[in-house]
Amino acid sequence: MFFKMYKYRWQYLMVLPAIVLLFLFNYIPMAGIQIAFKDFAIGSSIWDSNWIGLDNFSFVHDPQFWVVVQNTLSISVLKFVFGFPMPILLALMINEVTHSIFKRFVQSVSYLPHFFSWIVVAYILQSFLTLDGGIVNDIIGNLGGKPIFFLGSTDWFRPMIIASSLWKEVGWNTILYLAAISTIDPQLYEAAKVEGAGKLAQIRHITLPGILPTISIVLILSIPGLINVGMDQIYPLMNSANQQVADVIDTYVLRNGLQQGYFGMATAVGLVSSLIGLILVVTTNAISKKINEEGLW
Amino acid sequence: MKPTSLERVGQWLIVLILTMLCLSILYPFLYMLAISLNTGADAAKGGVYLWPRSFTWFNYQVVLGNEVIRNAYKITIARTVLGTFGGLAVTLMAAYGLSYKLLPFRNSILTYILITMLFNGGLIPFYIQLYKLGLTNTFLVYIIPSLFSVWNMFVMQKFIQGIPEAMIESAELDGAGPFRILLQIIVPLSKPMLAALGLFTAVGHWNDWFAGAFYVTNQQLIPVQTFLQQLLTAQDLSSVLSSNENQEVLREQSMSNITLMSIKMATVMISALPILAVYPFLQKYFVKGVLIGSVKG
Repeated sequence: MFFKMYKYRWQYLMVLPAIVLLFLFNYIPMAGIQIAFKDFAIGSSIWDSNWIGLDNFSFVHDPQFWVVVQNTLSISVLKFVFGFPMPILLALMINEVTHSIFKRFVQSVSYLPHFFSWIVVAYILQSFLTLDGGIVNDIIGNLGGKPIFFLGSTDWFRPMIIASSLWKEVGWNTILYLAAISTIDPQLYEAAKVEGAGKLAQIRHITLPGILPTISIVLILSIPGLINVGMDQIYPLMNSANQQVADVIDTYVLRNGLQQGYFGMATAVGLVSSLIGLILVVTTNAISKKINEEGLW
Repeated sequence: MKPTSLERVGQWLIVLILTMLCLSILYPFLYMLAISLNTGADAAKGGVYLWPRSFTWFNYQVVLGNEVIRNAYKITIARTVLGTFGGLAVTLMAAYGLSYKLLPFRNSILTYILITMLFNGGLIPFYIQLYKLGLTNTFLVYIIPSLFSVWNMFVMQKFIQGIPEAMIESAELDGAGPFRILLQIIVPLSKPMLAALGLFTAVGHWNDWFAGAFYVTNQQLIPVQTFLQQLLTAQDLSSVLSSNENQEVLREQSMSNITLMSIKMATVMISALPILAVYPFLQKYFVKGVLIGSVKG
Protein backbone atom coordinates (compact mmCIF):
# COMPACT_ATOMS: atom_id res chain seq x y z
CA MET A 1 0.00 0.00 0.00
CA PHE A 2 2.70 2.42 0.98
CA PHE A 3 4.60 1.63 -2.19
CA LYS A 4 1.50 2.27 -4.24
CA MET A 5 0.94 5.59 -2.49
CA TYR A 6 4.55 6.54 -3.09
CA LYS A 7 4.06 5.85 -6.77
CA TYR A 8 1.31 8.48 -6.78
CA ARG A 9 3.21 11.02 -4.67
CA TRP A 10 3.00 13.74 -7.32
CA GLN A 11 -0.74 13.27 -7.69
CA TYR A 12 -1.13 13.62 -3.94
CA LEU A 13 0.96 16.77 -4.05
CA MET A 14 -1.44 18.17 -6.66
CA VAL A 15 -4.50 17.45 -4.56
CA LEU A 16 -2.89 18.62 -1.33
CA PRO A 17 -3.60 22.37 -1.64
CA ALA A 18 -7.30 21.65 -2.19
CA ILE A 19 -7.42 19.33 0.82
CA VAL A 20 -5.68 21.87 3.05
CA LEU A 21 -7.92 24.73 1.86
CA LEU A 22 -11.09 22.73 2.49
CA PHE A 23 -9.80 21.77 5.91
CA LEU A 24 -9.04 25.37 6.84
CA PHE A 25 -12.09 27.06 5.36
CA ASN A 26 -14.78 24.38 5.48
CA TYR A 27 -13.98 21.74 8.10
CA ILE A 28 -12.64 23.96 10.88
CA PRO A 29 -15.70 26.25 10.53
CA MET A 30 -17.88 23.13 10.77
CA ALA A 31 -16.16 22.30 14.06
CA GLY A 32 -16.70 25.93 15.00
CA ILE A 33 -20.45 25.31 15.04
CA GLN A 34 -19.94 24.31 18.68
CA ILE A 35 -20.00 28.00 19.57
CA ALA A 36 -23.74 27.78 18.96
CA PHE A 37 -23.77 25.91 22.29
CA LYS A 38 -21.07 27.95 24.00
CA ASP A 39 -20.48 31.30 25.59
CA PHE A 40 -17.96 32.59 23.09
CA ALA A 41 -16.42 36.02 22.64
CA ILE A 42 -14.05 36.90 19.84
CA GLY A 43 -10.45 36.81 21.02
CA SER A 44 -11.03 33.81 23.28
CA SER A 45 -10.58 30.22 22.23
CA ILE A 46 -13.54 28.31 20.83
CA TRP A 47 -12.48 25.12 22.59
CA ASP A 48 -12.01 26.72 26.03
CA SER A 49 -15.32 28.60 26.07
CA ASN A 50 -17.98 27.31 28.46
CA TRP A 51 -20.83 25.13 27.32
CA ILE A 52 -24.13 26.85 27.92
CA GLY A 53 -26.56 24.37 26.44
CA LEU A 54 -29.29 25.86 24.30
CA ASP A 55 -29.11 29.41 25.65
CA ASN A 56 -28.03 30.70 22.24
CA PHE A 57 -31.20 29.30 20.73
CA SER A 58 -33.32 31.77 22.67
CA PHE A 59 -33.74 33.63 19.37
CA VAL A 60 -36.88 31.54 18.91
CA HIS A 61 -38.47 33.88 21.45
CA ASP A 62 -37.42 36.93 19.46
CA PRO A 63 -40.45 38.15 17.47
CA GLN A 64 -38.10 39.64 14.88
CA PHE A 65 -36.75 36.14 14.17
CA TRP A 66 -40.18 34.94 13.07
CA VAL A 67 -40.64 38.03 10.93
CA VAL A 68 -37.32 37.14 9.35
CA VAL A 69 -38.40 33.54 8.68
CA GLN A 70 -41.61 34.78 7.11
CA ASN A 71 -39.76 37.29 4.92
CA THR A 72 -37.30 34.62 3.81
CA LEU A 73 -40.10 32.27 2.83
CA SER A 74 -42.12 34.94 1.01
CA ILE A 75 -39.20 36.23 -1.01
CA SER A 76 -38.02 32.74 -1.79
CA VAL A 77 -41.45 31.55 -2.95
CA LEU A 78 -42.10 34.71 -4.98
CA LYS A 79 -38.71 34.47 -6.65
CA PHE A 80 -39.42 30.88 -7.57
CA VAL A 81 -42.94 31.51 -8.86
CA PHE A 82 -41.68 34.20 -11.25
CA GLY A 83 -38.09 33.16 -11.75
CA PHE A 84 -38.78 29.59 -12.78
CA PRO A 85 -41.35 29.87 -15.62
CA MET A 86 -40.20 33.18 -17.13
CA PRO A 87 -36.94 31.88 -18.66
CA ILE A 88 -38.88 29.03 -20.31
CA LEU A 89 -41.35 31.50 -21.79
CA LEU A 90 -38.53 33.78 -22.95
CA ALA A 91 -36.64 30.87 -24.51
CA LEU A 92 -39.76 29.86 -26.43
CA MET A 93 -40.16 33.43 -27.67
CA ILE A 94 -36.52 33.77 -28.68
CA ASN A 95 -36.81 30.47 -30.52
CA GLU A 96 -39.70 31.81 -32.61
CA VAL A 97 -37.62 34.72 -33.92
CA THR A 98 -36.81 34.04 -37.56
CA HIS A 99 -34.44 36.95 -38.14
CA SER A 100 -31.07 35.54 -37.06
CA ILE A 101 -29.29 38.85 -36.37
CA PHE A 102 -32.14 40.11 -34.21
CA LYS A 103 -32.19 36.75 -32.43
CA ARG A 104 -28.50 36.91 -31.61
CA PHE A 105 -28.83 40.52 -30.52
CA VAL A 106 -31.66 39.67 -28.13
CA GLN A 107 -29.65 36.80 -26.68
CA SER A 108 -26.51 38.92 -26.17
CA VAL A 109 -28.40 41.77 -24.57
CA SER A 110 -30.51 39.60 -22.32
CA TYR A 111 -27.45 37.78 -20.91
CA LEU A 112 -25.73 41.06 -20.13
CA PRO A 113 -27.23 41.96 -16.71
CA HIS A 114 -26.01 38.65 -15.31
CA PHE A 115 -22.49 40.08 -15.33
CA PHE A 116 -23.22 43.11 -13.20
CA SER A 117 -23.09 42.97 -9.45
CA TRP A 118 -26.17 43.44 -7.29
CA ILE A 119 -24.60 46.70 -6.19
CA VAL A 120 -24.83 48.01 -9.74
CA VAL A 121 -28.45 46.84 -9.86
CA ALA A 122 -29.11 48.73 -6.64
CA TYR A 123 -27.67 51.88 -8.24
CA ILE A 124 -29.91 51.47 -11.25
CA LEU A 125 -32.93 51.16 -8.98
CA GLN A 126 -31.83 54.17 -6.99
CA SER A 127 -31.27 56.34 -10.05
CA PHE A 128 -34.68 55.43 -11.49
CA LEU A 129 -36.67 55.65 -8.29
CA THR A 130 -35.10 58.56 -6.44
CA LEU A 131 -37.28 61.51 -5.50
CA ASP A 132 -34.70 63.99 -6.86
CA GLY A 133 -35.13 63.82 -10.61
CA GLY A 134 -35.57 60.07 -10.95
CA ILE A 135 -37.36 59.17 -14.15
CA VAL A 136 -40.12 57.10 -12.54
CA ASN A 137 -41.24 59.79 -10.14
CA ASP A 138 -40.94 62.34 -12.95
CA ILE A 139 -43.42 60.34 -14.98
CA ILE A 140 -45.72 59.86 -12.00
CA GLY A 141 -45.56 63.62 -11.41
CA ASN A 142 -46.34 64.41 -15.05
CA LEU A 143 -49.35 62.14 -14.89
CA GLY A 144 -50.54 64.11 -11.92
CA GLY A 145 -49.69 61.54 -9.26
CA LYS A 146 -47.87 61.95 -6.00
CA PRO A 147 -44.19 60.93 -5.92
CA ILE A 148 -43.57 57.58 -4.25
CA PHE A 149 -40.55 56.88 -2.05
CA PHE A 150 -40.03 53.40 -3.47
CA LEU A 151 -36.69 52.74 -1.80
CA GLY A 152 -38.05 53.25 1.68
CA SER A 153 -41.42 51.63 1.22
CA THR A 154 -42.55 48.37 2.76
CA ASP A 155 -45.09 47.85 -0.03
CA TRP A 156 -42.62 48.26 -2.86
CA PHE A 157 -39.70 46.30 -1.47
CA ARG A 158 -40.77 42.85 -2.62
CA PRO A 159 -41.87 43.91 -6.12
CA MET A 160 -38.52 45.67 -6.42
CA ILE A 161 -36.59 42.55 -5.39
CA ILE A 162 -38.56 40.22 -7.66
CA ALA A 163 -38.48 42.55 -10.67
CA SER A 164 -34.77 43.25 -10.37
CA SER A 165 -33.87 39.60 -9.98
CA LEU A 166 -35.96 38.76 -13.04
CA TRP A 167 -34.30 41.58 -14.96
CA LYS A 168 -30.85 40.33 -13.99
CA GLU A 169 -31.24 36.60 -14.54
CA VAL A 170 -34.14 35.84 -16.90
CA GLY A 171 -32.04 36.05 -20.06
CA TRP A 172 -29.13 34.15 -18.62
CA ASN A 173 -31.39 31.34 -17.48
CA THR A 174 -32.65 30.77 -21.02
CA ILE A 175 -29.26 29.40 -22.12
CA LEU A 176 -29.93 25.82 -21.06
CA TYR A 177 -33.41 25.83 -22.58
CA LEU A 178 -32.21 27.29 -25.87
CA ALA A 179 -29.48 24.66 -26.00
CA ALA A 180 -32.08 21.96 -25.39
CA ILE A 181 -34.39 23.38 -28.06
CA SER A 182 -31.54 23.38 -30.59
CA THR A 183 -31.13 19.62 -30.16
CA ILE A 184 -34.74 18.91 -31.18
CA ASP A 185 -34.89 17.17 -34.56
CA PRO A 186 -36.14 19.71 -37.18
CA GLN A 187 -37.87 16.86 -39.03
CA LEU A 188 -40.39 16.71 -36.22
CA TYR A 189 -41.48 20.25 -37.03
CA GLU A 190 -41.58 19.50 -40.75
CA ALA A 191 -43.79 16.49 -40.11
CA ALA A 192 -46.05 18.55 -37.85
CA LYS A 193 -46.40 21.24 -40.52
CA VAL A 194 -47.40 18.62 -43.09
CA GLU A 195 -50.03 17.45 -40.65
CA GLY A 196 -51.26 21.02 -40.51
CA ALA A 197 -50.21 21.81 -36.95
CA GLY A 198 -50.01 25.52 -36.17
CA LYS A 199 -47.25 27.24 -34.23
CA LEU A 200 -48.89 26.84 -30.84
CA ALA A 201 -49.56 23.18 -31.47
CA GLN A 202 -45.92 22.71 -32.47
CA ILE A 203 -44.75 24.35 -29.26
CA ARG A 204 -47.10 22.26 -27.19
CA HIS A 205 -46.43 18.92 -28.83
CA ILE A 206 -42.80 19.19 -29.92
CA THR A 207 -40.83 21.99 -28.25
CA LEU A 208 -42.17 21.64 -24.71
CA PRO A 209 -41.84 17.84 -24.58
CA GLY A 210 -38.36 18.27 -26.09
CA ILE A 211 -37.15 20.49 -23.27
CA LEU A 212 -39.07 18.72 -20.52
CA PRO A 213 -35.98 16.86 -19.22
CA THR A 214 -34.13 20.19 -18.96
CA ILE A 215 -37.09 21.77 -17.21
CA SER A 216 -37.21 18.98 -14.68
CA ILE A 217 -33.46 19.16 -14.00
CA VAL A 218 -33.57 22.93 -13.53
CA LEU A 219 -36.61 22.53 -11.29
CA ILE A 220 -34.90 19.92 -9.13
CA LEU A 221 -31.66 21.86 -8.92
CA SER A 222 -33.48 24.98 -7.78
CA ILE A 223 -34.77 23.26 -4.63
CA PRO A 224 -31.57 23.60 -2.55
CA GLY A 225 -31.45 27.31 -3.39
CA LEU A 226 -34.84 27.95 -1.80
CA ILE A 227 -33.26 28.66 1.60
CA ASN A 228 -30.80 31.03 -0.01
CA VAL A 229 -32.75 34.16 -0.91
CA GLY A 230 -29.81 36.22 -2.14
CA MET A 231 -28.38 38.40 0.56
CA ASP A 232 -26.12 40.00 -2.03
CA GLN A 233 -29.21 41.50 -3.56
CA ILE A 234 -31.19 42.31 -0.42
CA TYR A 235 -28.54 43.80 1.84
CA PRO A 236 -27.73 46.82 -0.36
CA LEU A 237 -31.43 47.73 -0.69
CA MET A 238 -32.33 47.24 2.95
CA ASN A 239 -32.72 50.28 5.16
CA SER A 240 -34.43 51.19 8.41
CA ALA A 241 -37.61 52.14 6.55
CA ASN A 242 -38.14 48.78 4.84
CA GLN A 243 -36.40 46.46 7.28
CA GLN A 244 -39.66 44.90 8.49
CA VAL A 245 -40.15 43.28 5.07
CA ALA A 246 -36.54 43.14 3.91
CA ASP A 247 -34.86 41.38 6.81
CA VAL A 248 -34.09 37.74 5.91
CA ILE A 249 -32.21 34.97 7.73
CA ASP A 250 -28.86 35.87 6.19
CA THR A 251 -29.11 39.57 7.04
CA TYR A 252 -30.29 38.65 10.54
CA VAL A 253 -27.18 36.50 11.05
CA LEU A 254 -24.98 39.21 9.61
CA ARG A 255 -26.39 41.94 11.83
CA ASN A 256 -26.45 40.01 15.06
CA GLY A 257 -23.16 38.23 14.47
CA LEU A 258 -20.68 40.39 12.61
CA GLN A 259 -22.15 43.78 13.43
CA GLN A 260 -23.32 43.35 17.02
CA GLY A 261 -21.05 40.55 18.17
CA TYR A 262 -23.61 37.95 19.28
CA PHE A 263 -21.51 35.18 17.79
CA GLY A 264 -23.11 32.28 19.64
CA MET A 265 -26.64 33.27 18.75
CA ALA A 266 -25.81 34.09 15.11
CA THR A 267 -24.04 30.75 14.73
CA ALA A 268 -27.10 29.01 16.14
CA VAL A 269 -29.33 30.68 13.55
CA GLY A 270 -26.81 29.79 10.86
CA LEU A 271 -26.81 26.18 12.03
CA VAL A 272 -30.57 25.92 11.69
CA SER A 273 -30.36 27.40 8.21
CA SER A 274 -27.52 25.03 7.20
CA LEU A 275 -29.53 22.06 8.44
CA ILE A 276 -32.55 23.11 6.40
CA GLY A 277 -30.21 23.48 3.43
CA LEU A 278 -28.88 19.97 4.02
CA ILE A 279 -32.40 18.54 4.19
CA LEU A 280 -33.28 20.29 0.93
CA VAL A 281 -30.20 18.93 -0.84
CA VAL A 282 -30.78 15.38 0.39
CA THR A 283 -34.44 15.59 -0.65
CA THR A 284 -33.41 16.94 -4.03
CA ASN A 285 -31.01 14.06 -4.47
CA ALA A 286 -33.72 11.54 -3.63
CA ILE A 287 -36.16 13.14 -6.09
CA SER A 288 -33.49 13.31 -8.76
CA LYS A 289 -32.69 9.61 -8.29
CA LYS A 290 -36.31 8.71 -8.67
CA ILE A 291 -37.03 10.84 -11.73
CA ASN A 292 -33.76 10.84 -13.64
CA GLU A 293 -32.51 7.53 -12.25
CA GLU A 294 -29.38 9.46 -11.36
CA GLY A 295 -28.56 11.27 -8.15
CA LEU A 296 -26.74 14.55 -7.80
CA TRP A 297 -23.63 12.67 -6.71
CA MET B 1 -47.50 26.35 -45.64
CA LYS B 2 -48.05 30.06 -45.25
CA PRO B 3 -48.28 31.45 -41.75
CA THR B 4 -51.81 32.37 -40.78
CA SER B 5 -52.54 36.00 -40.05
CA LEU B 6 -52.86 35.13 -36.37
CA GLU B 7 -49.36 33.70 -36.41
CA ARG B 8 -48.05 36.82 -38.09
CA VAL B 9 -49.56 38.92 -35.33
CA GLY B 10 -47.91 36.57 -32.84
CA GLN B 11 -44.55 37.06 -34.56
CA TRP B 12 -44.83 40.83 -34.28
CA LEU B 13 -45.93 40.56 -30.69
CA ILE B 14 -42.85 38.50 -29.87
CA VAL B 15 -40.56 40.98 -31.63
CA LEU B 16 -42.21 43.78 -29.69
CA ILE B 17 -41.81 42.05 -26.33
CA LEU B 18 -38.19 41.15 -27.00
CA THR B 19 -37.39 44.67 -28.16
CA MET B 20 -38.86 46.03 -24.95
CA LEU B 21 -36.81 43.56 -22.93
CA CYS B 22 -33.62 44.72 -24.65
CA LEU B 23 -34.53 48.36 -24.10
CA SER B 24 -35.20 47.71 -20.42
CA ILE B 25 -31.68 46.31 -20.15
CA LEU B 26 -29.78 48.86 -22.22
CA TYR B 27 -31.69 51.98 -21.25
CA PRO B 28 -30.60 52.10 -17.56
CA PHE B 29 -26.97 52.34 -18.63
CA LEU B 30 -27.74 55.13 -21.06
CA TYR B 31 -29.73 56.90 -18.37
CA MET B 32 -26.97 56.59 -15.79
CA LEU B 33 -24.41 57.72 -18.36
CA ALA B 34 -26.50 60.82 -19.16
CA ILE B 35 -26.82 61.75 -15.51
CA SER B 36 -23.15 61.16 -14.83
CA LEU B 37 -22.28 63.56 -17.68
CA ASN B 38 -24.70 66.23 -16.50
CA THR B 39 -24.09 68.84 -13.83
CA GLY B 40 -25.59 67.55 -10.60
CA ALA B 41 -27.83 70.42 -9.64
CA ASP B 42 -29.39 70.47 -13.10
CA ALA B 43 -29.99 66.71 -13.17
CA ALA B 44 -31.79 66.86 -9.84
CA LYS B 45 -34.50 68.96 -11.47
CA GLY B 46 -35.40 65.91 -13.52
CA GLY B 47 -35.86 65.58 -17.25
CA VAL B 48 -32.40 64.21 -18.09
CA TYR B 49 -33.43 60.94 -19.69
CA LEU B 50 -31.33 60.27 -22.76
CA TRP B 51 -28.44 62.68 -23.04
CA PRO B 52 -26.91 65.29 -20.76
CA ARG B 53 -28.63 68.68 -20.81
CA SER B 54 -25.82 70.55 -19.14
CA PHE B 55 -22.76 68.58 -20.17
CA THR B 56 -19.73 68.24 -17.91
CA TRP B 57 -16.79 65.88 -17.26
CA PHE B 58 -16.69 67.25 -13.80
CA ASN B 59 -18.26 64.26 -12.01
CA TYR B 60 -15.70 61.94 -13.54
CA GLN B 61 -12.86 64.27 -12.65
CA VAL B 62 -13.99 64.26 -9.03
CA VAL B 63 -14.40 60.50 -8.91
CA LEU B 64 -11.09 59.75 -10.60
CA GLY B 65 -9.35 62.27 -8.41
CA ASN B 66 -10.28 60.35 -5.31
CA GLU B 67 -7.47 58.30 -3.91
CA VAL B 68 -9.63 55.65 -2.29
CA ILE B 69 -11.38 54.91 -5.58
CA ARG B 70 -8.18 54.66 -7.56
CA ASN B 71 -6.76 52.43 -4.89
CA ALA B 72 -9.93 50.33 -4.90
CA TYR B 73 -9.45 49.86 -8.62
CA LYS B 74 -5.97 48.49 -8.07
CA ILE B 75 -7.28 46.12 -5.42
CA THR B 76 -10.05 44.89 -7.70
CA ILE B 77 -7.67 44.30 -10.62
CA ALA B 78 -5.10 42.59 -8.40
CA ARG B 79 -7.60 40.26 -6.78
CA THR B 80 -9.26 39.45 -10.09
CA VAL B 81 -5.97 38.49 -11.75
CA LEU B 82 -4.45 36.64 -8.81
CA GLY B 83 -7.70 35.04 -7.72
CA THR B 84 -8.51 33.81 -11.22
CA PHE B 85 -5.12 32.34 -12.13
CA GLY B 86 -4.46 31.00 -8.64
CA GLY B 87 -7.94 29.54 -8.45
CA LEU B 88 -7.66 27.84 -11.83
CA ALA B 89 -4.25 26.42 -10.93
CA VAL B 90 -5.26 24.98 -7.55
CA THR B 91 -8.55 23.61 -8.85
CA LEU B 92 -7.12 22.14 -12.05
CA MET B 93 -4.32 20.42 -10.13
CA ALA B 94 -6.84 18.79 -7.82
CA ALA B 95 -9.09 17.79 -10.71
CA TYR B 96 -6.20 16.26 -12.62
CA GLY B 97 -4.67 14.52 -9.61
CA LEU B 98 -8.02 12.93 -8.84
CA SER B 99 -8.56 11.86 -12.43
CA TYR B 100 -6.19 8.92 -11.75
CA LYS B 101 -8.72 6.20 -11.08
CA LEU B 102 -6.17 3.95 -9.33
CA LEU B 103 -5.08 6.60 -6.86
CA PRO B 104 -5.28 5.03 -3.39
CA PHE B 105 -7.94 6.71 -1.19
CA ARG B 106 -9.36 8.47 -4.26
CA ASN B 107 -12.94 7.84 -3.15
CA SER B 108 -12.26 8.98 0.39
CA ILE B 109 -10.82 12.24 -0.92
CA LEU B 110 -13.79 12.74 -3.25
CA THR B 111 -16.19 12.19 -0.36
CA TYR B 112 -14.17 14.63 1.76
CA ILE B 113 -14.62 17.19 -1.03
CA LEU B 114 -18.29 16.43 -1.64
CA ILE B 115 -19.29 16.85 2.01
CA THR B 116 -18.33 20.53 1.82
CA MET B 117 -20.98 21.00 -0.87
CA LEU B 118 -23.71 19.64 1.38
CA PHE B 119 -23.03 21.31 4.65
CA ASN B 120 -21.14 24.31 5.96
CA GLY B 121 -20.43 25.95 9.25
CA GLY B 122 -22.14 29.17 8.30
CA LEU B 123 -20.92 32.72 8.18
CA ILE B 124 -19.87 33.26 11.80
CA PRO B 125 -17.56 30.24 12.30
CA PHE B 126 -16.08 31.03 8.87
CA TYR B 127 -15.43 34.59 9.92
CA ILE B 128 -13.87 33.47 13.21
CA GLN B 129 -11.57 31.16 11.28
CA LEU B 130 -10.49 34.02 9.00
CA TYR B 131 -9.81 36.05 12.10
CA LYS B 132 -7.82 33.28 13.80
CA LEU B 133 -5.71 32.79 10.69
CA GLY B 134 -4.95 36.51 10.63
CA LEU B 135 -6.60 36.93 7.23
CA THR B 136 -9.10 39.59 8.23
CA ASN B 137 -7.96 43.01 7.14
CA THR B 138 -5.42 41.66 4.68
CA PHE B 139 -5.46 41.52 0.90
CA LEU B 140 -5.14 37.74 1.00
CA VAL B 141 -8.64 37.35 2.43
CA TYR B 142 -9.86 37.97 -1.15
CA ILE B 143 -7.64 35.27 -2.61
CA ILE B 144 -6.91 32.33 -0.33
CA PRO B 145 -10.33 31.21 0.95
CA SER B 146 -11.78 31.02 -2.56
CA LEU B 147 -8.79 29.44 -4.34
CA PHE B 148 -10.35 26.01 -4.53
CA SER B 149 -13.78 25.68 -6.11
CA VAL B 150 -15.50 22.32 -5.69
CA TRP B 151 -17.98 23.04 -8.43
CA ASN B 152 -15.27 24.02 -10.93
CA MET B 153 -13.31 20.93 -9.99
CA PHE B 154 -16.20 18.66 -10.95
CA VAL B 155 -16.63 20.48 -14.27
CA MET B 156 -12.90 20.12 -14.94
CA GLN B 157 -12.94 16.43 -14.04
CA LYS B 158 -15.76 15.85 -16.48
CA PHE B 159 -13.76 17.61 -19.17
CA ILE B 160 -10.50 15.78 -18.40
CA GLN B 161 -12.31 12.45 -18.65
CA GLY B 162 -12.98 13.30 -22.29
CA ILE B 163 -9.27 13.56 -23.11
CA PRO B 164 -8.12 10.30 -24.79
CA GLU B 165 -6.17 8.22 -22.30
CA ALA B 166 -3.83 7.07 -25.06
CA MET B 167 -2.33 10.58 -25.23
CA ILE B 168 -1.55 10.55 -21.54
CA GLU B 169 -0.21 7.00 -21.62
CA SER B 170 2.14 7.69 -24.50
CA ALA B 171 3.47 10.75 -22.69
CA GLU B 172 4.02 8.60 -19.61
CA LEU B 173 5.95 6.11 -21.71
CA ASP B 174 8.16 8.96 -22.85
CA GLY B 175 8.97 9.53 -19.21
CA ALA B 176 6.85 12.62 -18.57
CA GLY B 177 5.77 13.09 -14.96
CA PRO B 178 2.28 14.14 -13.90
CA PHE B 179 3.19 17.82 -13.67
CA ARG B 180 4.59 17.83 -17.20
CA ILE B 181 1.57 16.00 -18.53
CA LEU B 182 -0.65 18.52 -16.80
CA LEU B 183 1.21 21.48 -18.30
CA GLN B 184 1.92 20.14 -21.76
CA ILE B 185 -1.13 18.00 -22.52
CA ILE B 186 -4.01 18.73 -20.20
CA VAL B 187 -3.75 22.52 -20.12
CA PRO B 188 -3.47 23.02 -23.92
CA LEU B 189 -6.37 20.64 -24.54
CA SER B 190 -8.54 22.25 -21.87
CA LYS B 191 -8.16 25.81 -23.10
CA PRO B 192 -11.84 26.46 -23.95
CA MET B 193 -12.94 25.02 -20.61
CA LEU B 194 -10.28 26.95 -18.70
CA ALA B 195 -11.22 30.15 -20.53
CA ALA B 196 -14.89 29.73 -19.61
CA LEU B 197 -14.29 28.83 -15.96
CA GLY B 198 -11.63 31.52 -15.70
CA LEU B 199 -14.05 34.15 -16.96
CA PHE B 200 -16.70 33.15 -14.44
CA THR B 201 -14.15 33.24 -11.65
CA ALA B 202 -12.94 36.65 -12.82
CA VAL B 203 -16.47 38.07 -12.93
CA GLY B 204 -17.07 36.71 -9.43
CA HIS B 205 -13.98 38.50 -8.13
CA TRP B 206 -14.78 41.69 -10.00
CA ASN B 207 -18.31 41.81 -8.60
CA ASP B 208 -17.72 40.71 -5.03
CA TRP B 209 -18.44 43.40 -2.46
CA PHE B 210 -19.11 41.20 0.54
CA ALA B 211 -15.55 40.28 1.52
CA GLY B 212 -14.46 43.90 1.33
CA ALA B 213 -17.42 45.04 3.42
CA PHE B 214 -17.19 42.52 6.26
CA TYR B 215 -13.72 40.98 6.38
CA VAL B 216 -11.81 44.21 5.91
CA THR B 217 -11.98 47.53 7.73
CA ASN B 218 -8.94 49.25 6.23
CA GLN B 219 -10.23 51.60 3.50
CA GLN B 220 -6.96 51.12 1.61
CA LEU B 221 -7.92 47.48 1.02
CA ILE B 222 -11.49 47.72 -0.21
CA PRO B 223 -12.32 46.80 -3.83
CA VAL B 224 -14.42 48.97 -6.14
CA GLN B 225 -17.66 47.10 -5.45
CA THR B 226 -17.30 47.63 -1.71
CA PHE B 227 -16.64 51.31 -2.28
CA LEU B 228 -19.82 51.43 -4.36
CA GLN B 229 -21.72 49.64 -1.63
CA GLN B 230 -20.57 52.20 0.94
CA LEU B 231 -21.38 55.09 -1.37
CA LEU B 232 -24.85 53.69 -2.09
CA THR B 233 -26.04 54.48 1.40
CA ALA B 234 -23.80 57.50 2.00
CA GLN B 235 -25.56 60.60 3.25
CA ASP B 236 -23.02 63.06 1.90
CA LEU B 237 -20.02 63.27 -0.37
CA SER B 238 -17.31 63.30 2.29
CA SER B 239 -15.95 59.90 1.23
CA VAL B 240 -15.42 61.12 -2.32
CA LEU B 241 -14.29 64.66 -1.63
CA SER B 242 -11.75 63.87 1.06
CA SER B 243 -8.26 62.87 -0.08
CA ASN B 244 -9.12 64.11 -3.55
CA GLU B 245 -6.28 65.06 -5.87
CA ASN B 246 -8.36 67.28 -8.09
CA GLN B 247 -8.74 70.06 -5.52
CA GLU B 248 -8.27 72.63 -8.30
CA VAL B 249 -11.29 71.35 -10.17
CA LEU B 250 -13.23 71.28 -6.95
CA ARG B 251 -12.42 74.94 -6.33
CA GLU B 252 -13.39 75.98 -9.85
CA GLN B 253 -16.85 74.50 -9.63
CA SER B 254 -19.30 75.74 -7.09
CA MET B 255 -20.09 73.02 -4.59
CA SER B 256 -23.80 73.38 -5.23
CA ASN B 257 -23.19 71.85 -8.64
CA ILE B 258 -22.08 68.52 -7.21
CA THR B 259 -24.80 66.21 -6.05
CA LEU B 260 -24.53 62.84 -4.44
CA MET B 261 -26.54 61.29 -7.27
CA SER B 262 -24.36 62.56 -10.11
CA ILE B 263 -21.19 61.47 -8.33
CA LYS B 264 -22.76 58.08 -7.67
CA MET B 265 -23.66 57.67 -11.32
CA ALA B 266 -20.13 58.54 -12.43
CA THR B 267 -18.68 56.02 -9.98
CA VAL B 268 -21.00 53.22 -10.99
CA MET B 269 -20.38 53.88 -14.69
CA ILE B 270 -16.64 53.64 -14.10
CA SER B 271 -17.15 50.22 -12.51
CA ALA B 272 -19.56 49.03 -15.21
CA LEU B 273 -17.68 50.25 -18.29
CA PRO B 274 -14.96 47.56 -18.29
CA ILE B 275 -17.60 44.84 -18.28
CA LEU B 276 -19.63 46.57 -20.99
CA ALA B 277 -16.45 46.94 -23.05
CA VAL B 278 -15.23 43.34 -22.93
CA TYR B 279 -18.61 41.62 -22.85
CA PRO B 280 -19.32 41.53 -26.62
CA PHE B 281 -16.00 39.78 -27.24
CA LEU B 282 -16.21 37.26 -24.45
CA GLN B 283 -19.90 36.41 -24.58
CA LYS B 284 -19.49 33.16 -26.50
CA TYR B 285 -17.07 31.78 -23.88
CA PHE B 286 -19.59 32.41 -21.15
CA VAL B 287 -22.31 30.56 -23.00
CA LYS B 288 -19.91 27.69 -23.68
CA GLY B 289 -19.04 27.65 -20.00
CA VAL B 290 -22.66 27.23 -18.94
CA LEU B 291 -23.07 24.35 -21.36
CA ILE B 292 -19.87 22.61 -20.20
CA GLY B 293 -21.01 22.98 -16.60
CA SER B 294 -24.46 21.66 -17.30
CA VAL B 295 -23.20 18.28 -18.53
CA LYS B 296 -23.68 16.32 -15.38
CA GLY B 297 -20.54 14.82 -13.89
